[in-house]
Amino acid sequence: MDTFSFKRIDNGNHSKLYLTGFLDAHTAPELEDEFEKLADEQRFNVIVNFSDLTYISSAGLGVFMGHIEKFRENKGDIKMSNMSPKIFRVFDLLGFPALYDIVDEESKAVELFTKQEV
Amino acid sequence: MKKINQLSLLLPLGFFIVACAQFLGIASTHAYHMSSLYSRNGIILLSLILSLPLIYKQKWASDRNVLRGLRHLFFLILTTSAILFLSGERLDQLKDRFSEQHILTGALADSVFIISWAFFAVIFILIALGTLRNLIYVKRKRTTARNFTWLMIFLLLYSVSSVPLYYSESSINSTVLRYFNYAALFILINLAIANSFRVGWINYLNKKQKLGCFWGGLILTPVQIVFLVRFRQVNPIVSFSPLLERFIEMSMVFISIYFITSFLALLSHLPTARLYDRKMQQIQSLQDLSRALSAELDWSKLVSTIIKLASEVAQSEFAWLELYDKKSGRLMLISSKNLSEKERNKWKSKTEGRLADWLGSTKETMLCNQVSKTDLARPIQEWKRDLGSVIAVPMIASDRVLGFLYAGKREEFAFEQDDAEMFRAFSDQATIAVENARLVQESLVKERLEQELRIAHEAQMKLLPKKMPVLNGLEIDAVCITANEVGGDYYDFFELGDGRIGIVIGDVSGKGPSAAFYVAEVKGIMEALAKEVRSPKAMLVSANETLYKNFDRSTFISLIYGIIDAKDRCFTFCRAGHCPLYYMSPNLKKPQMLEPKGIGVGLDAGKIFEKTLEPMQVTLQDEDALLLFTDGVTEARNPKGEEFGEERLAQAFLQVKDENSTEIKKALIHQIYTFFDGQNAYDDLTFIIIKALANGKA
Repeated sequence: MDTFSFKRIDNGNHSKLYLTGFLDAHTAPELEDEFEKLADEQRFNVIVNFSDLTYISSAGLGVFMGHIEKFRENKGDIKMSNMSPKIFRVFDLLGFPALYDIVDEESKAVELFTKQEV
Repeated sequence: MKKINQLSLLLPLGFFIVACAQFLGIASTHAYHMSSLYSRNGIILLSLILSLPLIYKQKWASDRNVLRGLRHLFFLILTTSAILFLSGERLDQLKDRFSEQHILTGALADSVFIISWAFFAVIFILIALGTLRNLIYVKRKRTTARNFTWLMIFLLLYSVSSVPLYYSESSINSTVLRYFNYAALFILINLAIANSFRVGWINYLNKKQKLGCFWGGLILTPVQIVFLVRFRQVNPIVSFSPLLERFIEMSMVFISIYFITSFLALLSHLPTARLYDRKMQQIQSLQDLSRALSAELDWSKLVSTIIKLASEVAQSEFAWLELYDKKSGRLMLISSKNLSEKERNKWKSKTEGRLADWLGSTKETMLCNQVSKTDLARPIQEWKRDLGSVIAVPMIASDRVLGFLYAGKREEFAFEQDDAEMFRAFSDQATIAVENARLVQESLVKERLEQELRIAHEAQMKLLPKKMPVLNGLEIDAVCITANEVGGDYYDFFELGDGRIGIVIGDVSGKGPSAAFYVAEVKGIMEALAKEVRSPKAMLVSANETLYKNFDRSTFISLIYGIIDAKDRCFTFCRAGHCPLYYMSPNLKKPQMLEPKGIGVGLDAGKIFEKTLEPMQVTLQDEDALLLFTDGVTEARNPKGEEFGEERLAQAFLQVKDENSTEIKKALIHQIYTFFDGQNAYDDLTFIIIKALANGKA
């Protein structure tokens, strides 16, 4: 079975999540729990780094869908970065770029959050 | 044990009466012969042997009721002793009246008195021996019955050999007989002692019963000994039958020895009686638990049983059970005894951390008799102030710490090491029960999931169209290969009239039963809208509007909806976040990917959705083909983990471009399965193929 894991780094006004492996219907709940935790901790500025993610299914996409609204209501956002072309294709087909900030580099996402603060 | 046949007792009684009659006859006539004395003893011996069943088959003192037998014996001995002492004076007088010839010279009344005495004594001895036999047979071993029987045999042998010695002390023959008599006595005493060590019944008494027996023994043993001494002094029966007199006397010696050893054994048992009782109770609790567990799969009942028995085993006022929650990994207070609402609320996770870590890592039992002064137990003190002593045990199943079981008392120094060990043993049993109950629950859940899966599967299959639409000049074919776990793929056709057909393909996010239900919802809405709305774009915008409201925020569906018109073979469609479609024409070198803009249905309330959605039109010429599919196709993986991908799909489509729609479908399925190489489909795979027939333009 393919595995999924993630690492979280809190950095000032934002938290970064580094995803690794397969994000599908079976592993999505793990990420879901982390978003719940972030919300509990009032950390609504989140950058998700996809550089090591090899696969994402519709259920995986659903995790972001399910939380972004609450994060945005709290003046935060979920920004996405470092997607491989394959992963980006999945997001792109569904039209996510029209709805989310998807950037090439993590630093750009950080910049976006910093700008927002000012 | 068989009942004694009443009739069989008549025989020894009859012999006894004969012996009595003969005694009375001689006493009244004063005429006797030595042979008549021997014959009387002979008859009495017969009578004794025949009455042995009374010892062996006593109904009223069955070995299950040791105590009742003891009580009977107690009162019997007291009564007999009382009678002996009361009639002592008369017996003393009688003794003086014995003549040299061993016969009684006196009134008939004296003889009757002696006979009554003998009869009473024999009955008493037989009952007493029977009771002792029952006591001896408790915890019976291989040699028990043999030893007792030998004791009876030597009792009789000794009694018999004493008779001639009594009657003819000066005879020369008696030397050999005397040695034999002594030897028999020696063996008899040894056997009596050997039998006296069989006091196993004491083990089965509880503390109260032991105390009762102790006090009874304290009274009875001296009484019995004094009785024996006095009996020897007055010797009332000897003139009737020395055999009987010896038999009774030696039986009483045996009874006395047995009493003394029993009394000493009891004495040694008394200090440990409380402990012994507790052990028994704890073992009982353990047995109760095993029984309760094998029958109890209901979780809430199981934990309350565990708590109830835990407090019984530890004899504690408080008991509580903490278990790690499987999902969150947090420690939870599952069940408790005598904890107040407030304490339970305060508990929260105070014990998490140091104490739990220590218990979990050392896997040892913590016995703490001064909670307030023990650093490790301080977390408990934080939420429960009135605790003096506590035992805490980790519950470990296959190297995993499931949780902890606690027992506590208000007083300090209330637990002993022994309690902790017993509690541990109990906890180990409880752990197995908890683990079992969880496993059963899990397997039930698994079974339910499998059933849900089956239902979802069937539901999904029912949602798909049963036959392909028929249109002039066009061929349409479709297939949905479902994965083991429902993947949420969906396709449908709508007859729109005027030679027009609505075609939809989609994929709901997520898997399993919920995906199947969302498909059902989408199908209903699409079917309703198809009849009303003219353009694919308006159709999808309306669908998005409705579905966005009804969908869970993490759920969405990618859709392509298009209308094909048989008149001009024009396919007008919109792509709402779905995989692109392939267009193939005979003059193309490779299939062309058609990917108009559009986002998935359910992602946005409407504005962005409508703004992004871009209609597209493609008019099919002869032999042109369209291929619609779901991501299950491109994301199909082979055993190496490679994805089928858009490129392979395009190649496969290219190879079969000249075939009809059914052949294209078959070829694509074949390609996919070849690629799978035995691997199971992880997601649903769906194709729709639209092929324009050669010279088919209407």
